[in-house]
Amino acid sequence: MTDVHILGVGMTRFGRHPDSDASDLGAEALLEAIADAEIDARAVEAAYCGHVFQGMVTGQRILAQVGLAGLPLTNVENACSSGATAIREASLAIRAGEHDVVVAIGTEHLTSRFRGALTPDPSDPEAAVGATMPGVYAMRARRYMEEFGMTREQLALIPVKNKGNAARNSLAHFRTPITVKEVLESRPIADPLNLHDCSPVTDGAAAVVVMSDRAAGRFANGRTVRLAASALRSGSVDVEPTSMTFEPLTWATARDAYEKAGIGPDDVDLAEVHDCFSIAEVLRVEGLGLFEQGSYPTAVERGEADIGGRLPINPSGGLIGKGHPLGGTGVAQVVEVVRQLRGEVGDRQVEGAKVGVAHCRGGKAVGIEGAACTVQVLVR
Amino acid sequence: MLEVETAVSFRPGELEVDSSGAGHLLGSRCASCGAHFFPVRQACAGCLGTDLEAVRLSTTGTLYTFSIVRQSTPEFEVPYALGYVDFSEGVRIMGQISGCDLEDIWIGMQLSLSVEPFGEDEDGNQLSGYRFRPTEAGSGGGS
Repeated sequence: MTDVHILGVGMTRFGRHPDSDASDLGAEALLEAIADAEIDARAVEAAYCGHVFQGMVTGQRILAQVGLAGLPLTNVENACSSGATAIREASLAIRAGEHDVVVAIGTEHLTSRFRGALTPDPSDPEAAVGATMPGVYAMRARRYMEEFGMTREQLALIPVKNKGNAARNSLAHFRTPITVKEVLESRPIADPLNLHDCSPVTDGAAAVVVMSDRAAGRFANGRTVRLAASALRSGSVDVEPTSMTFEPLTWATARDAYEKAGIGPDDVDLAEVHDCFSIAEVLRVEGLGLFEQGSYPTAVERGEADIGGRLPINPSGGLIGKGHPLGGTGVAQVVEVVRQLRGEVGDRQVEGAKVGVAHCRGGKAVGIEGAACTVQVLVR
Repeated sequence: MLEVETAVSFRPGELEVDSSGAGHLLGSRCASCGAHFFPVRQACAGCLGTDLEAVRLSTTGTLYTFSIVRQSTPEFEVPYALGYVDFSEGVRIMGQISGCDLEDIWIGMQLSLSVEPFGEDEDGNQLSGYRFRPTEAGSGGGS
């Protein structure tokens, strides 16, 4: 079976784009990815498009803008893992031998669809009683503080780190570093989480070009990164109430990915993880096995997760700093890891990085531990 | 003819309300392995058995964790307390917490199901939903 290789990546600036829509942004990212791959657009054989709130046939509207209408295209919805799932579907099409050159796009024009606190689908029993995503993560934060003694100040160091990294990323939504004091004094959203603990409402898109061994040899551009694993799982139903301070779903998905890639958590040089809220980064990196359970808050305090630290987490700025255009997020994580492994990211470069992980986790439904989780392993 | 005012559940599949205004949350019990679920399921996630019976869940549980929600969607007035409550059948259910000050909520406190006014239907009729309130025995201490 062929390996899967990423030869081209593209990404719009993340932030507010009042004069564009999701297809404009997706088309911009896609054209950049095709140019970055140094291929003729006619080489692309199939496309997958991840988005959440952009309506019917968003992917086809993107292809129509770039002259590629006619390709087999699948729109993918998996909440915040939609874009990452599009990459997985593209990689499966390659591994199955059906196609040699496939593009995956993730896009969202969230500012025109949405404001305030994201909620589960209105049909969900928890949405009906007032569940908000910040509220759910706030409850997990409170429980984590109770079990592991994490302080509010320790939690605030995560947005401080991520917005500091975003200040070095010209494509990020936020470009201004913040302090612990600013996090603690920002507007309360759901106790103990404040505004700076939350990822913003962001517009943006990203795209990648993936290829088989055969195509990667033919189109070799000297910047190829191997997508060594692209794992996906959905959350299982709780038969008994389980801990909300550990993520079996993240761990199960990570285990699939590590096994497929033939690596372990100790081999990882950097990770982009789904920090939709400050507490989420804690739960993700511990769920991925990158840090011991209960240890991450003190590890962050010691600078272990900084660029230049033992294991940099979210060097792009993460969802909190770079922004979180739902469908765009999972693809943008992979774009960042690819650029890191190629050594292209200037003053936020993780030196000598060979193995990177991208983790997404999206959606909320009553009675399950999480909805959709993806873990991708990239190797240079 | 005199209209008799009857409480109408906001989600009849999940909350049963009787004419006295009392109520129960509805779940499923697996006839094969005994696992309970909320809300009602069509097959058991434990043993995959499909012989599930509808059951009324118990009405008193323990608060696992909570938050004070200060930003929400327009249909909910903020702030409100939101919590996860563990019940003896092995189910954890989310709900708002009422009947006490927001400062007097703590992990481990005992809470009871309370049927309360909860929004209106399309015609403006009052609906009944559920919240969790401190039980008499569990509302005394904050430690």
